[in-house]
Amino acid sequence: MLKISPDELKLVAQYIHDISGIYLDQSKSYLFETRLSSIVSEYDFKSFKELYQKAKTESDKIIERKIIDAISTNETLFYRDKGPFELLQHKLLPELIDARTPGSPALKTNIKIWSAASSTGQELYSIAITLKELLPDFSRYTIKLLGTDISDGAVAQASRGKYNKFEMERGLPGDKLQRYFTMFGDSWTIKDEIRAMVQFRKLNLMLPFADLGKFDIIFCRNVAIYFTLPDRQKLFNKIADSLADDGYLIIGSTESLTGICPLFVPKRYLRSIFYQKK
Amino acid sequence: MRNMTILVVDDDPVIRRMLEKRLEKEGYEVLIAEDGYQAKKIFPQQHIDVVLTDLIMPGSIGGIEVLDIAKKINPTIEVILITAHSSVDTAVEAMKKGAADYLEKPINFDELFLRLEKIANLQSIMRNAMDLSQAMDTTESAAAVTIQNLEIRNAELQGRLNAIETILRDKQSPPYDQVDKVLDLLAAENNIIIYPQ
Repeated sequence: MLKISPDELKLVAQYIHDISGIYLDQSKSYLFETRLSSIVSEYDFKSFKELYQKAKTESDKIIERKIIDAISTNETLFYRDKGPFELLQHKLLPELIDARTPGSPALKTNIKIWSAASSTGQELYSIAITLKELLPDFSRYTIKLLGTDISDGAVAQASRGKYNKFEMERGLPGDKLQRYFTMFGDSWTIKDEIRAMVQFRKLNLMLPFADLGKFDIIFCRNVAIYFTLPDRQKLFNKIADSLADDGYLIIGSTESLTGICPLFVPKRYLRSIFYQKK
Repeated sequence: MRNMTILVVDDDPVIRRMLEKRLEKEGYEVLIAEDGYQAKKIFPQQHIDVVLTDLIMPGSIGGIEVLDIAKKINPTIEVILITAHSSVDTAVEAMKKGAADYLEKPINFDELFLRLEKIANLQSIMRNAMDLSQAMDTTESAAAVTIQNLEIRNAELQGRLNAIETILRDKQSPPYDQVDKVLDLLAAENNIIIYPQ
């Protein structure tokens, strides 16, 4: 495998931060070498400097996209830790529906949920399944479920909604698997009724995202951990702007907003914490 | 490495016995089914890692059906089909349905052992990955309890600090009253409820 020099490490780390916000520990050079090795051999680059220069100057940004795909972590599961989904089902959605249901039965209830680092889609599909099971009369609601991720590869896989057995093994209860997926060979594909509820697109959380509008619930789990402290502060300030005044924010179960964003106050429900604006 | 258990499904008694002998000699646990029906009965009763099945067998349960049954019971079971040269197309179809591999008759045992070894390696890597993610889940949920408690407690203390500040900045109130109120707030410290773990 091609080795990365200390100078190249600095250059590439800075470049990756610029294009994605992801901060990689420069003491772990093997991380750069292993994750980028397939791009190096595909283009037959002789050094990481060459990779950097090509990626930076090419107009179609193909190498840049490949670097983001290779560097971003896609560890995700259906119902990755159960807490947030219990929270959604038993507390957030019932409260939200009470608050949002208009006086006139002729009007629809609007609900907007955003999975801010949707990876390969498991989180948003889990949310969609939770909604489907909770709301018997679907036609009375206008529901927008948006998933965004910085990786084109992850967005493409999320949109296909097709998962192999390794991706399915943990997390998903058997009855949900049978009900919402079609199995073929070793792969499972999400059924159209669920897929039709969601939408995925590419988004770099370091860039402005106010044009997405305001959301009632934002899931931003286990992505800020890859950012520097100043970048985390900026991110959660922007998220506060994108959240309805009575909306809910859910972050990863081992994440904290202490010292990062004073705009939110944590609240507890059973084994989970959620945040609301002060 | 744990020994793999292999279920051999073949209606030909000669091939059955030969496979059983050679596989046992290699150190595998071997189970035998004379046809698809017997295999179907064995699946729910025994732990099986790999199924080695003839593609064409008498009755309505052939190799493809054995594959379907195995995958339905446990998707991690790997299935290798044994096929005559003339039915390679069917075997390729079976690969699309999740078969791990196929072998053409007559069986080349070196080839078979090589494939079994590959499956064993893959399964061991899979188990390792599962163990690691299990360990990660455990660590993560333990850390989550601590962090959530700290997060809530921190917010509670921050709220109390703000309240104390408001009391102390109140120029209208006599100092002794302020001190009393602040002391009351501080005494409430003992009432902080930490969620039971």
